[in-house]
Amino acid sequence: MRMRFTYSAFLVVGAFSYALAQSVVPKNPFGHGPEVVAEGHAIFNQTCTTCHGMDGSEGERAPALVGERRFFRLSENALYDTIKHGIPGTGMPALNLPDESIWKIVVFIRAMRSSASEVDVPGDVAHGKQVFSGKGGCVKCHMINGEGGTIGPDLSNIGAQITLKRMKEALTVDGPIPTGYQPVKVVTLKGTTIEGVAKNQDNFSIQLLDNQNHLHLLDRAELKSVEESKISLMPHNYDKVLSREEYNDLLAMLAKQATVNLHKKVEGDGEVGR
Amino acid sequence: MRIRALAFLLILSSSLFAQVTEQQLLQPPGKDWLTYNGSYNSQRNSELDQIKPSNIHSLVAQWAFHVNSGAPMQSVPIAVNGVLYFTQPNALYAIDGRSGRLIWDHHHPLVKVKDREGPQRGAAVYKDRVYYLTTDDYLIALNATTGSVVYEVKIAETTEGYSAPPAPFIAKGKVIVGVAPGDRGLNGWLEAYDADTGKKLWHWDAIPKPGEPGNETWAGDSWKHAGAATWMSGSYDPELNLYYLGLGNPSPDFNGDVRMGDNLYSECMVAIDLDTGKLKWYFQFTPHDMMDWDGSEVPVLVDAVYEGKMRKLLVQADRNGFYYVLDREMGKFLHGVPFVTQLNWASGLTAEGRPIRVPGIEPSLTGTKVCPSSIGAANWMSPAYNRDTNLFYVVALEGCGLATKNTETFRPGGFQYRAGGDVLLHNADWKVYVRALDLITGKLVWEQERVGNMGLGGGLLSTKTGLIFSGELNGQFVALDAKSGKTLWHFNTGEGINAQPMTYMVDGKQYVAIATNTTVFSFALLDHEKGAAK
Repeated sequence: MRMRFTYSAFLVVGAFSYALAQSVVPKNPFGHGPEVVAEGHAIFNQTCTTCHGMDGSEGERAPALVGERRFFRLSENALYDTIKHGIPGTGMPALNLPDESIWKIVVFIRAMRSSASEVDVPGDVAHGKQVFSGKGGCVKCHMINGEGGTIGPDLSNIGAQITLKRMKEALTVDGPIPTGYQPVKVVTLKGTTIEGVAKNQDNFSIQLLDNQNHLHLLDRAELKSVEESKISLMPHNYDKVLSREEYNDLLAMLAKQATVNLHKKVEGDGEVGR
Repeated sequence: MRIRALAFLLILSSSLFAQVTEQQLLQPPGKDWLTYNGSYNSQRNSELDQIKPSNIHSLVAQWAFHVNSGAPMQSVPIAVNGVLYFTQPNALYAIDGRSGRLIWDHHHPLVKVKDREGPQRGAAVYKDRVYYLTTDDYLIALNATTGSVVYEVKIAETTEGYSAPPAPFIAKGKVIVGVAPGDRGLNGWLEAYDADTGKKLWHWDAIPKPGEPGNETWAGDSWKHAGAATWMSGSYDPELNLYYLGLGNPSPDFNGDVRMGDNLYSECMVAIDLDTGKLKWYFQFTPHDMMDWDGSEVPVLVDAVYEGKMRKLLVQADRNGFYYVLDREMGKFLHGVPFVTQLNWASGLTAEGRPIRVPGIEPSLTGTKVCPSSIGAANWMSPAYNRDTNLFYVVALEGCGLATKNTETFRPGGFQYRAGGDVLLHNADWKVYVRALDLITGKLVWEQERVGNMGLGGGLLSTKTGLIFSGELNGQFVALDAKSGKTLWHFNTGEGINAQPMTYMVDGKQYVAIATNTTVFSFALLDHEKGAAK
């Protein structure tokens, strides 16, 4: 009830402000193409990095613009207004830039935060599928729409879940192993060796999915040894083992993998959390 | 390139571990607990024999798995090779049955507020997949080892008012699903889907259309907004290939004036051919009901001697207060008696099993005392049967309601269409019991009062060692002596129980588990002797 009231109040206020301001609502004249993103990226790195860090990811004097934060300025106009007029009372100044440059920065920030599926990723999706199940070997470990391996994360919705930047990192940079995918090798007291990934573990038990897709529910008291590999099962050299064309096509294909639109709203309904 | 990829996929799929076979599903519950009620006959009588009356004093909690937020759980965990699968509305959890640690979880995102209405009663398993239904009417098939979505099928629309509460039921590779509620003037139906592909195989309407037999039992156009929801997961006889399910109330619930007639197949036990989806027989517990007495209580299938002859029986303790013994081959009524004392609406049953109504004991404009109340003498809480004691165990509610009717009309869009209700008469006589009835005569052999409970709470589990496990609404999880009803063990979970207990074995150790409103608890003996897995 309270949420609904707040929502309605917000709508009323929103409509009122819109009516006042509709004649002067600025509009992005450039669209969201990759060239605009690239130009915006260049301007961003000349103008904003002192505070927000390179690529907006490691702010020292101002918040990182990507990552987990409670309050994002989400819409294009919210970003535009913030860059043009600053945030009074904080270190964020009004930037004396031409509108064109501001819009390009806006497009870049939006692209940086968007899930991969919302970004225009050039490439041949059909060929990307072939790379996925062929040369890339991805299908060995990853499932898409019910087909593929189980040892790695399901990628059916990966385009909607992560940014394009994160997707590129996953394919090319050796990062921390995510929870649930820690490679582990255990030897039981009876001498049996089991290798796979730890779906979960604590001081007393390990839930291990082996390479043959069998689950093992293990009590640590029954194990002789537990060895955790520091190396992820996920290769991080796809930019090297694939040709440039194959790599781009694979990216384009993965970015298109979106089965669920979590942000979809129907008029008159509140949003439901999980 | 493409051929290589295909060949690779083939290799992958053949290496997948087929977890649950058709043969396993035909077995009584032992090491695994594979269906909502443990086996196709819904007897809920486990073959496991480690926990028994002589050692139950040392039954202790092994772990608790807490689920954050969401609606109170009504789910029965399914156990496959030590992994437990259980649901909360729109979420399914796979946990380690030994340690209670999470292996994976699946969350189904909702779009609209209306999508989240209704309960969810559990999962089903077949081969290497686990299945469940969501409140916004999707049948979802997941990979059992990882939770990856294999397919999602939309079976109904929340915009019309449908939700899908049952645990899916699986036999012969067919997933049977149902919908609710009939309290909104929506007609019930059953559907079967191919477990492998998600393709719809058949559809059966619980309300006959004009020209079909039974439509004449609805006055005028009343069949259009008629109810008969398919709330539950049913029972199955593999020899007869019949699927048994009790159907929900007619709509509107409390005002029968607008739907004169018997109102088929509301509140019927129906026997449906599993392969064709055709009705083989029906038996109506409460013709022309006006008290919301869904006939959805679990049908228990027992082969037993009746009048000197071995018969295939179906027994049910109905929400209307009568215990029924039917022949499940042809649906013939054999015997019926009240299993509650507070029953004033019928003076008995005819030789055909039709209730002999007491005139005037029905909802009225000014209110009439009707016993049982609309909650019923029994409800969807699972009963149990132990063939050694030959007793049928059921959670029974003694209580009445002051029932009124009104002239509410049907509104499309999923609004309530009850046209009345009853005020529950929570007086000193309002009591909840676990009752043991003689299977054939229905005679009361013992009873244990659930002291301090105002509602039915959770259902029952029987073990061949002579124990009845019982989850109470006030949070007590107790074990009773199956022969005498004496309380042998209890544990206060600290939270309401609205689900049915189950039991399973991992690595030679027997566990008993139950879901409270937010937490699954599992118990085992403090110093168990390793038993052979059944």
